[in-house]
Parts: sequence; C-alpha cells; structure tokens
Amino acid sequence: MSDSPLPYTDTKPQGSADFYFAVNATFRFLLRRVGPDGWRRYLADMGRGYFAPVNRQWEQGGLPAIARYWRAFFAAEPGSNVEVVEHSDRVEVHVRECPAIKHLRAGKREIVGAYCQHCYYSGQARAEAAGFTMRLSGGNGSCRHTFASPAAALAPQNLQDIAEARS
Amino acid sequence: MIGCYDFCGHYEWTFDWLEREGGHPLVRAYWDEAIHRDSQIHARELILRDGFAGMAKYWGHTLTEESPELGFTITPAPEVFRFDMQHCPSKGFLMRNGLDQYRDYCDHCVGWIGPLLRDAGFVVDHEHNHCGQCWWELRKADSPAAPSAPGALSRTDARLLHNWEGPGAHIDRYSRATDPDDKTALPGK
Repeated sequence: MSDSPLPYTDTKPQGSADFYFAVNATFRFLLRRVGPDGWRRYLADMGRGYFAPVNRQWEQGGLPAIARYWRAFFAAEPGSNVEVVEHSDRVEVHVRECPAIKHLRAGKREIVGAYCQHCYYSGQARAEAAGFTMRLSGGNGSCRHTFASPAAALAPQNLQDIAEARS
Repeated sequence: MIGCYDFCGHYEWTFDWLEREGGHPLVRAYWDEAIHRDSQIHARELILRDGFAGMAKYWGHTLTEESPELGFTITPAPEVFRFDMQHCPSKGFLMRNGLDQYRDYCDHCVGWIGPLLRDAGFVVDHEHNHCGQCWWELRKADSPAAPSAPGALSRTDARLLHNWEGPGAHIDRYSRATDPDDKTALPGK
C-alpha cells in the first residue's frame, strides 16, 4: 500500500510535460464534438469517477488531506510553482505558474480558450463528492483554487472570475 | 487540475467515456483528430517530412522521456524501422494501478499512428500482448517484405521475452495495417 496521497502512482517522480498537449487537444476535440455542455459533463464525470479514490481520501481526511494531495500533485507536475496554504475552513492553492499553460506556450500550441475552466468543473465535482466546495479565480497561467468546508459559505462561482487562456 | 503525471490513467478513462457517449466511431475520431492531428502534430510533421529518420527522431525522444529506464529498444535497419517495448511505461502504469476501464487500451497506438503512417505512405506490422509488451515494424507501403521472424532483426525482440505468451497475455496482431480495427486476435496457447 502506497503512502502517497496520490491515488495512482508512477515509477518516475514527475510526468512527461508533453502530455499537456494531449489534454489541451482532448478539450478542443470534446468542445467540437460534444459541445460545451458535453465537455463540462465529461469533466464532472471524471471528477466523480476517475478521481473517486481521491474524493474518498478528502471525505475521510478533511482539509489536511486536501492540502496533502495538492502538494503531492504539483510536486509531480514538471514546471510547477505552487504554494498550498491551509486555513481553518479552507485550503488555498496558489498557482503562481501553471505548468500546463507554461508548457503549451513553450510548445507554441494553440491553447483552448476555456482551458482554465476545466479546473473548476472537475475540481468542484471532486470537492462536492467529498463534502466540500471549490472555487477558482484567475487563470491564463496563474490562479487560486479554494477548497472549503460548507461552514465557509463561499459565494457561488462567478465564471467571469476565470480568465480565458491565451497562447 | 488534470495533470500529466497520471495522464495514462485519465487518457484510458476517456476512451471509455467516449465510447459510452458516441460509440466506437467517436473513440476512433478522438485518436485520429485529437491525438494524431493535434496533440502529436509534431510527430506527423516529422514523419511526413523525413520518413524513417523522422521516426527515429520522434520515438527516440518520446520513449526516452516517457520511459527513462529504457524499457524499449529501437532497431533501425534498411527499409524498416523497428521498435520493441519490453516494459511499456503507459500500459505498465495502468497495470500497476489497477486501471482497466476500456476494453483494449493498446489499440490507441495504432489508433493514432496508423492514420499518420497511411498519410506518410507506410504500413505497420505489430503485435501487443496486453501485458505491456509489443513490437512494431514500419515499412513503406510498397515494400514487399514480410515481418521479420522473432529475433531476426533484434536481440531484444519482445517475442523472445519469457513472458511474451505468459499468464494473462493474449496477442493481437496487425499485418500491413494502418487502421486500429484491422487486427486479429491470435488463439491462445
């Protein structure tokens, strides 16, 4: 049994950044083929399904488990510059440099404009499954994710707070 | 955030989601449109432009980055580009983590590489055993050559591995193919 907060682990410490090309291309394909509603459903389904083991960890371990997960997650993403800050009612993930946006730009890829929204739609589905709420502000290379307990009573997500990603 | 560290996990999960959403045609379209013509456009450009040399450059970089422990070998030879996966990093990740949503993850490779080879004027002979081992021989579409016998081109031929047909293995074969559905399941031993 692994001690890692990550549900799925590899033999190498970090992933291959070129896979961000595939994530970006997957979003473009889904937006074209199944539309924005279908893409959001895909992200929410993934959040509840593929990430179910993480959601259970969060449900059982609460905010400290959420903080541990995001520290481990970004340590495995090459090029990240992230700080995870724990408060009594929330965990804030301060993404100073998003590894995906950084690599897509370095690779001169056309970034899907709605790219940054994926963190909200998948993150909120995961948080909700674990009994929390998630909000996102910023984007296009730097942003803040907030995972909060219901007591924090966060305002509803304003999609205008999520920046369009640009190449 | 959806990351790159466990990419193979959500990539495989995505195949199953697409199949439930739009059936097999949507999965095939995904491999061709999203992977071949978008994500891996650099591979397409290299191989269309440089043929065998482009293959060596692309797979030399990609496999080294994905599999730094070198669970693969590349064997360039006249008129054929061969590579063997003794320990596929991608399938290996899925197996170690118990991820098995889609009926045949390994099909995604011919799913995107096949259409690329077709456009570049090549065909592929290939077998995978669903246990993280496979071999590939890429030739010009007009080459009359047959696939090599085990060990004839490479001392590290995946077919020579002791577990090539071991427990859990079942082999799918592609012969002069460029289409992910153009495969034959070999009878088990």
